[in-house]
Amino acid sequence: MAACEYNSGMGSFRVALVAVAVGVAFADSSIVVLALPELYTKFNTTIERVSWVVTAYNAAVAVAALALVVLVHRLRATTVMAAGLVVFMAASIACAAANSLWFLVGARSVQGIGAALLLAGSLPILTALTRSAVRGATVWTLAGTFGAALGPALGGVVTQVLGWRAIFAVQAPLAALGLLAVVAVTAAPVLEEGWRLSLARAAPANTCIGLLFGALVGVLFLYVLLVITVWGYSPIAGAAIVSILPVTTLAARPLERRLPRLTAVYGGAALLALGLLALALLPSASVGFLVGALALCGVGLGLSIPVLSHAALDLGAGLSRSGTLTIGIRHLGLVLAIALIAPLLASALPPAGHRAELRATAVLLDARIGLTSKIPIALAARGEFARAQAGEIPNLARPFDAHGAKRDPALAAARDDLIATIRDTITRAFRSSFLLSAAFAAAGLLVALLFRGRGVVD
Amino acid sequence: MVILVALLVAAAALIAAELATSAGRSDVTVADPCRTRAAFPGGGIDATIQRVVLDGLDGAACRLHTTREQLVLSLRPGSGKRRWDQHTIDTALRAGLLRSVDEAEHRGDIPGFLAPIVRRVVERAPLAKLIQGGVSLSDLFGCTS
Repeated sequence: MAACEYNSGMGSFRVALVAVAVGVAFADSSIVVLALPELYTKFNTTIERVSWVVTAYNAAVAVAALALVVLVHRLRATTVMAAGLVVFMAASIACAAANSLWFLVGARSVQGIGAALLLAGSLPILTALTRSAVRGATVWTLAGTFGAALGPALGGVVTQVLGWRAIFAVQAPLAALGLLAVVAVTAAPVLEEGWRLSLARAAPANTCIGLLFGALVGVLFLYVLLVITVWGYSPIAGAAIVSILPVTTLAARPLERRLPRLTAVYGGAALLALGLLALALLPSASVGFLVGALALCGVGLGLSIPVLSHAALDLGAGLSRSGTLTIGIRHLGLVLAIALIAPLLASALPPAGHRAELRATAVLLDARIGLTSKIPIALAARGEFARAQAGEIPNLARPFDAHGAKRDPALAAARDDLIATIRDTITRAFRSSFLLSAAFAAAGLLVALLFRGRGVVD
Repeated sequence: MVILVALLVAAAALIAAELATSAGRSDVTVADPCRTRAAFPGGGIDATIQRVVLDGLDGAACRLHTTREQLVLSLRPGSGKRRWDQHTIDTALRAGLLRSVDEAEHRGDIPGFLAPIVRRVVERAPLAKLIQGGVSLSDLFGCTS
């Protein structure tokens, strides 16, 4: 009956609704990243604390999914997904209504548990709706890959247009629509899955996926910190730049289908590593180089993740468990990478800030502007740096504007030189973190090469 | 396969372009204040005053074993724990400025008849506060000239 539904318009619509729910659950790993600056202003907190809004979700998905692996095959997929969608929807509403940081972090954790449930249940449901494990897995994989790539861009647009609460508010109706699609599945998929050790077969593919998702921290999180907090772009401008990621991920799809599967994995992992290396080597706050690097990452993602996801799935009796395991592994990769990269960046930024402050002062003292302006501006700029150390975004143009930079071209030129010097200096402080992200991708490539004959893609 | 190879070549080209751009850039450096650097360019009273003050800051920073930039930043009230007390900063600034006035007189930036007056101002004025304000220092030199 499900097959008949899939062949009809209504069936395709239900598949689309479930796919949207899957995409949203994957996008949620990074959807809130572009709103973090607004969140730490709203909750008057620190960058470290506000980052828990992102980490809590990914950690909850990883833990819940890995716990579900031993349980999910005993449950009805419709029950699992419906429960996940209800929890996800309720938690999304709670996130949108949050008035304290820790309430938001708690709600995000619950949302992560809901996401793990809905993702675990969605694969058998898509299989039932399409009456084909291959087609179901393809829809699931593409929705997940595209959702993960789309997250920051989507979040940036919604944040700028409607505010951070809207990021969560818009997810609730999408979850409700997913729920309608699941409830309407008349031929409930019941997969008789026994406990088998076949999951070990997918270990190389899952290891590879975990490492590549870890590498995505560079694109999904470091990119946002750099472009919004350091380069000073608005969330919508940041979203416009990062939209190259989902676009190139989709554009890589025809190439991925034409390439031998192993070649797609090797090429994708290599392009992701090279894209992250290009991000690490950014010579300045240059959007051109940034877009080029992100495009490489997007193509790398589009080539490697769909193939590896298929390899990680047992399309037979182990479908729901293998799907749940790979969900857990990829989010575990994200969380582990955040745990390694965050302290690295945190240790690199303060000395870079000090270097930037000294270089900015050197630019000011040598600038062809009056003595009556340069030293007072240098001292006022130090005040802005102090705000940055307290977790706020410094407004380095403010001291210049207060001294008439809007009317004085020499002051305006000195302001632009100073801001460029600071951006370039801080941009280079991200180098070690991007390199570590690239190392994750390179490790993924290495795993693929080492296990090429032992089931990394089949 | 051709497309994949082209993408890998494009990635290598992007990285090569970034490295070339980095190599071609001249980064802002924080200079050693104990070494002579190019004088602040320009003519007129403001450029002359800037040369004297910036050279004076260099001299003071050299005496304090720091940089001109670090010294200026330490002048900001409430700038956290200071490396030096106010008396040490004032003494170093005075010594640095007196030396830069001597050099300015030697270069012909300050006329010989005016130099003793400027020196007297440097010896008596609250220099750190004047430099923080910028305006006051300029006015002060403007009045004496």
